[in-house]
Amino acid sequence: MSPVPLIQVRELVKDFDGQRVLAGVNLDIMEGGIKVVMGPSGCGKSTLLRCLNRLVEPTSGTIHLRGQLVTGAGVDVRALRQGIGFVFQQFALYRHLTVLDNVSLALRKLRGMRRLEAEQKAMYELARLDMAAHRDKYPGQISGGQKQRVALARALAMDPAVVVMDEPTSALDPLLTREVAQLIQRLHGEKVTLLCVTHDVLLARSITEQVVFLDRGVVRAEGSIEHLSSAHPDALIRDFFGRESGA
Amino acid sequence: MNFLDILALLARGAGYTVLVTLACSATGLIVGLAIATLRRLRLPVVLPLLDVYTYVFRGIPVLVLLFIVYFGLPGIGLKVPPLLSMVLSLGLIAGAYLAEVFRGALESVDAAEILAAQASGLGRLQVLALIELPQMLRFAVPGMVNEFTTVLKYSPFAYTVGLPEITKQATTLTATTQRGLEIYLAVGLMYFAVFRILLIAVRWIERRYRVPGMVPA
Repeated sequence: MSPVPLIQVRELVKDFDGQRVLAGVNLDIMEGGIKVVMGPSGCGKSTLLRCLNRLVEPTSGTIHLRGQLVTGAGVDVRALRQGIGFVFQQFALYRHLTVLDNVSLALRKLRGMRRLEAEQKAMYELARLDMAAHRDKYPGQISGGQKQRVALARALAMDPAVVVMDEPTSALDPLLTREVAQLIQRLHGEKVTLLCVTHDVLLARSITEQVVFLDRGVVRAEGSIEHLSSAHPDALIRDFFGRESGA
Repeated sequence: MNFLDILALLARGAGYTVLVTLACSATGLIVGLAIATLRRLRLPVVLPLLDVYTYVFRGIPVLVLLFIVYFGLPGIGLKVPPLLSMVLSLGLIAGAYLAEVFRGALESVDAAEILAAQASGLGRLQVLALIELPQMLRFAVPGMVNEFTTVLKYSPFAYTVGLPEITKQATTLTATTQRGLEIYLAVGLMYFAVFRILLIAVRWIERRYRVPGMVPA
């Protein structure tokens, strides 16, 4: 018997003002696994992520998390969100709070931890991502790469079932992109379940071989970048991976 | 009677000027914050009412509203004391203006941060209290200073309903001494001093809560 996926997406549809952005997405994410969803701009990658924690309400289809249906009525959406660590494209750190407060805020306000306890947990996550020394700085005082780490620490602090990353390198230079790739690999090594959407083939290549290709709201292909860039029957897919990876 | 004596006599009214300014500013702050918060929650029934409030109260002259409250309401059996009349006129009008200042400042809060807070599981009120309002208040400082200054400058209207603030003291003094020029110059100086103190206090608060690198989105 094959193991049950941590996240199971079936026939997910999302319409915005009559325009179909997701047109029946199917996706499985295994516990401790890493899944990279790729595709051109506007293919529905970010919408897919936002459907997972109901920041965007799906039009139809189902999403199961640990076997529990999380779409439809009667779901505790706030509890669901606490179980999905979200790292946004531009990091979205709270600018009026220090690095430490950014990471500990949700622990205090949602987990009911006292300040000391929440800060200890936050410091653990910051140290894990080599950001402990910057605890008292504000987001405006740290670099893009450091912001990325803080955003990751903030997501990890809640011990989520999965960490989802929306275009994690779009705001970073190539050097930092390599750093982010190493970071993702490290977290993967620590058995953190990761879902990453990106159009950056170099990033995808450096963190995993198997990717999902999303186009016009549906999964058009799934497989190794090597195969998709050279042997896939669809020329558009070969072009996307070939051009972007320089293969 | 020298200039210092005049200042000392006028100072008796300064307490009332400060009291009226503080009471009306505090009322404006509370009303403005309440309106900005309710607007942000986008409650469908409340939104048009808030729009009507800000539209009407920004359009009425302070003195007219003050007279309606102080001289008009007793006609229907509601006698309103002078200080409360000031609060219900100048304070509520300041609230309507501050609501607009806060609306603009709230627009400067980065939408991505609000989304990130919601994505972490925080509820709408928590996002408002923990993310939006603390940033908004920082962005709103220049607008708030303007409005508090306006309140200070309108505070002499309190004289028309019998509060013995600086201008009232000056009128009495002028009637008895016939030294209007010196007296009203002294009045101007006193308002300027109160304004400077207000400004110093606000700047101190601004520095105390300044966040490095944070600019409106």
